[in-house]
Amino acid sequence: MNTTSPLLELRNISKSFAMTAALTDMSFSVEPGEIHAIVGENGAGKSTLIKIMTGVYQPDAGTILCNGNPVTIPNTQVAQRLGIGAIFQEPMVFPDLDVAENIFISHRNKGLLMDWKRLHQDADALVKQLGITLDVRRPASGLTLAEQQTVEIARALSLDVKILIMDEPTASLSAHEVDKLLAIARTLKSRGVAALYISHRLDEIFTIADRVTVLRDGKHISTKPVTDVTRDGMVRDMVGRNIDAFATKKKANTVGERVLSVKDLGRAGAFSGLTFDVHAGEILCFAGLVGARRTDVGLALFGVAPATEGTIEIDGKPVKVKTPREGMAHRIAYVSEDRRKLGLALPMSIFSNITLPSLNSFLGRLGLIDGVKERTAAEGYRQQLGIRSPDVLIEAGKLSGGNQQKVMLAKWLETKPKILIFDEPTRGVDVGAKAEVHNIIRQLAKDGVAIIVISSDLPEVLALADRTLVMREGRQMGIFAIQNSTQENIMALATGQSEMKAA
Amino acid sequence: MTLQWFKTWEGLLLIILAITLTSNVILAPEFLTLQNQINLFQLSIEKIIVAVAMTFIIINGEIDLSVASIMGLSACTFGVLVNNGFGGGSAILLCLLLGFVAGGINALLITRLGIPSLVVTLAMLIAFRGFARVLLEDQGLKDFPLWFNALGRDGFLGPIPLAIVVFIVLLVAGAVVLHHTGFGRQVYVIGTNSDVARYSGVNIAFVKTVLFVASGIVSALAGLFYAGRLASVRGDAAFGFELDIITMVLLGGISIFGGKGSILGVLLSILIVLNLRNGMALVNITGHVQTGVIGILLIASVLGPNLYEHFRKTKLT
Amino acid sequence: MFAAFRKFHPQTLRLIALSLVLLLTVLFFTSQIDNYFSPRMLSRISSSAAVILPIAIGQAIVVMTRNIDLSVGSLVGVVAYVCGDFLASHQSLHPVLFVLLCLFVGGCCGAINGLLVSYGRVPSIIVTLGTLALYRTFLVEYSDARTITTDSLPKWLVDFPSSTLFSIGPFEVRTIVALALLAALVAWLTLSRLRVARQFYAVGSNPDAAVFAGINSARVVFWAFVISGMLAGLSGFIFLAKFGNITVVAGMGFELKSVAAVVVGGVNIFGGSGSIVGVLLGTVLVDTIDNSLIRWAVVSEFWREALLGILIMLAVIADTLMARSFGRLKGGNT
Repeated sequence: MNTTSPLLELRNISKSFAMTAALTDMSFSVEPGEIHAIVGENGAGKSTLIKIMTGVYQPDAGTILCNGNPVTIPNTQVAQRLGIGAIFQEPMVFPDLDVAENIFISHRNKGLLMDWKRLHQDADALVKQLGITLDVRRPASGLTLAEQQTVEIARALSLDVKILIMDEPTASLSAHEVDKLLAIARTLKSRGVAALYISHRLDEIFTIADRVTVLRDGKHISTKPVTDVTRDGMVRDMVGRNIDAFATKKKANTVGERVLSVKDLGRAGAFSGLTFDVHAGEILCFAGLVGARRTDVGLALFGVAPATEGTIEIDGKPVKVKTPREGMAHRIAYVSEDRRKLGLALPMSIFSNITLPSLNSFLGRLGLIDGVKERTAAEGYRQQLGIRSPDVLIEAGKLSGGNQQKVMLAKWLETKPKILIFDEPTRGVDVGAKAEVHNIIRQLAKDGVAIIVISSDLPEVLALADRTLVMREGRQMGIFAIQNSTQENIMALATGQSEMKAA
Repeated sequence: MTLQWFKTWEGLLLIILAITLTSNVILAPEFLTLQNQINLFQLSIEKIIVAVAMTFIIINGEIDLSVASIMGLSACTFGVLVNNGFGGGSAILLCLLLGFVAGGINALLITRLGIPSLVVTLAMLIAFRGFARVLLEDQGLKDFPLWFNALGRDGFLGPIPLAIVVFIVLLVAGAVVLHHTGFGRQVYVIGTNSDVARYSGVNIAFVKTVLFVASGIVSALAGLFYAGRLASVRGDAAFGFELDIITMVLLGGISIFGGKGSILGVLLSILIVLNLRNGMALVNITGHVQTGVIGILLIASVLGPNLYEHFRKTKLT
Repeated sequence: MFAAFRKFHPQTLRLIALSLVLLLTVLFFTSQIDNYFSPRMLSRISSSAAVILPIAIGQAIVVMTRNIDLSVGSLVGVVAYVCGDFLASHQSLHPVLFVLLCLFVGGCCGAINGLLVSYGRVPSIIVTLGTLALYRTFLVEYSDARTITTDSLPKWLVDFPSSTLFSIGPFEVRTIVALALLAALVAWLTLSRLRVARQFYAVGSNPDAAVFAGINSARVVFWAFVISGMLAGLSGFIFLAKFGNITVVAGMGFELKSVAAVVVGGVNIFGGSGSIVGVLLGTVLVDTIDNSLIRWAVVSEFWREALLGILIMLAVIADTLMARSFGRLKGGNT
């Protein structure tokens, strides 16, 4: 075995889903004891990369080498055996078991009986090695998210990991907790464990990483020692793609009356201090990174998770929105980001999905549903929005992502909304359908609907926004008018690289 | 009706029903007389009435195990009331009110506290049955008004007794509400994906409350029919009926996970179960074995689709 | 005040509360019923609890994995009758072998439940509601309307329930009670000490994380049902010994009592937690109320069942409210 070979090396890895390439010809390596940061926009291919390394996905092409030997990783168990562990944003702990048992849950060959005393001692020692204080005898229920992550790191450590992948571990942590986590990462490093650190927060990367790899559009852009990288250079690498797919919007729409006015809106534990207006015919985009809590703002406006502070005014009148029904009564519509879980009843027909929120307008004689009217309306949307399906009777679940997105759009258009909130309207949608969805959104604005688009896709924001509100960690960082909405400005605010002095 | 239709669950049920009917006719030619068919329905009429309400609840993704206990409690309450000087009419109203309250308690615990309906109605199965026993202890009650007993047994519309008329009305109303109203659509959506329903502005708590209250009232009504048909009541009236009721619904193609099935399927499954029981009686298979067969049917009606799905998937890959 | 309580594991708090309720119940009935706190009453309650305790333990293990076993009542009947019948015609069978036979018969029936739930992916409520009827039907057919009588059973079995293992003053501990307690002790040691047994907790606590940790959930659930069946076999044996005369209705309704004992005993109905000590206390509480009401003149004994239902509901409500205030994290879906 070559002593100079890296711990883990990926050579020319490619992976595509259906028609879209998630990773193309990706090569990179992890050295022992290094902290290797991976950065890139959403959709750059980071999560696909992690899933290939942990055995969740199999690459279409390319080789993986572990200590210089080619390996295949068919599942997580094999990844564990190779010394690759991962912790995710949502930790996987057992709330009813105590901390020590949580740490050693995967050790089933340690003898027939539980040696609680030794278990607690070992767990205690492990936790101490990480340089933290945590009572290993307490149950895991009631642990903070940060503490649960610690438990997962300890679990990975107990399995003797060589490479620990941390996927946005700090996305929902407070500043103090982040410091602690970074300290743990350093401890791991001193023990020779390599860490793959995926984060949107540039500060953290400059504090902790040894090397930085930038991904963009599923391709490897650069791998450099952190000392050779500047913030500006990194941001440029991340966003510097050819934006030929959609032209950047040059001129703002002419807008009408102020429809929605929000002041100091907040929900305990999620976000606070949101203040903005939306006018008829205007598209306001919410930009920011994962964990910026933009979706929570949308849910508060629509009433799924009501705001606990601040005021909402619609057409100048203060309103309270406590449930989606009340939101709909104020003619607000919310097109969810998760169409499979929250957006569509997949086993049901296209037409019954479309008419669901507005069933009352399809009642005929005796209060019964007028099936013909219902299907005619759905058929109208099928043609208008170009939903590709033979008819409106087939199950929504049988459609492709882009067409499901259009069904969801039709569903909310039928409620004749005055304020329309889109949450990641083109996530998981191919390029062609994406452009169609954008055209529909623009047309709606032209028709005088006040529109909010929550998007992590910067080109999309630039293509749609009249104004762009940037959020970071539940706070409003600033609002850009169209002339200042550049990729660099938005990313700088979203990553916390700079604070906007005046809105 | 194309050939494809027979591949659906309802189509399969229709074939099974045809086989059951044919074998019954061969076994006993007098089987097809109107009177025998009425008797057939009459023997299980209380269960099939409640099955209509249960269909809604299971499509909604919930379950109500307390129905038989509410039936028993309603029957016992009626007995106690009329034996203590209440008029038959007011006693009936009070019993229906009781069903309303019982269903309301279920609904409240399920929607307000978020306790699974399985747990709530299991506890209520015990509690309501307990109340019935408290009311009657170990005695039996008779001496109902004569017209009440007559309603339970004699023809109401020609030779058809009132209970069967009520069943048919409920079935038709159920089919209309479930398949042709906004409420029915909402019942399906909640059972399919309650998050989608909530994000679409459906008032989930309201729908569930209506269903459990309706289930309580229908169960109380069915309990009254039971008392009228037997012209007497004991503390264990309608004991264990929930098993038959749930079986009929699930066999009708209503998914235990919610969101799937139709009233037509339930009707076919009711006809199958009734005729199967009749057929078994014709070949001298006793009541207990019949219960066992129902138990097997219950498991098979869920296991069957699961296995079918499993083999279909393994064939694809 | 509340901060001090937080130091305890919620489960511990639960056991303390349950012990207090039990103590108050006993004190209440002592004040109401003459000569209540007597050796006779103790042995009455303890030997009636001894029949329920094993199935309550089995139920607890099943509930921990987010399932339910409603067939245990019928299983007790089947084992008591079928094994009793077998013993009547094989008088010379060694007592230990006979107990093993009871466990084996129960375990086989439990395995049927387990197979259907784990590998047939039929919800446990459906499976066990079905086998509740099925096992009882089998029993009715098998018995052919006969009754097993004390006369037909060997002498050692007839004498077994009245035999006393040891006495503390005037209080005697019957052998059948000791047997049930032994089962509880074994279950307690197993669940807290045996490494594989910890998987029952893990699977119920967070099914997604269990998969991630490489636990074979289907197999774990299968064994929970087998164990529940075996313990129902033990209950069947104790039932046979205690009553001697067995009819086809033996054990009817026991499933509800076992669920009551488990829920009152603080086993989380959403899976993942529960202790055998809690189940023991829950069983004793349920049987104390049951047996005391018979002797209490103020309300009729027919209140037993109604109170049982109310008790279960109150326990579940208390749990739900407690879980809310602790804001505990729960992964996966039921």
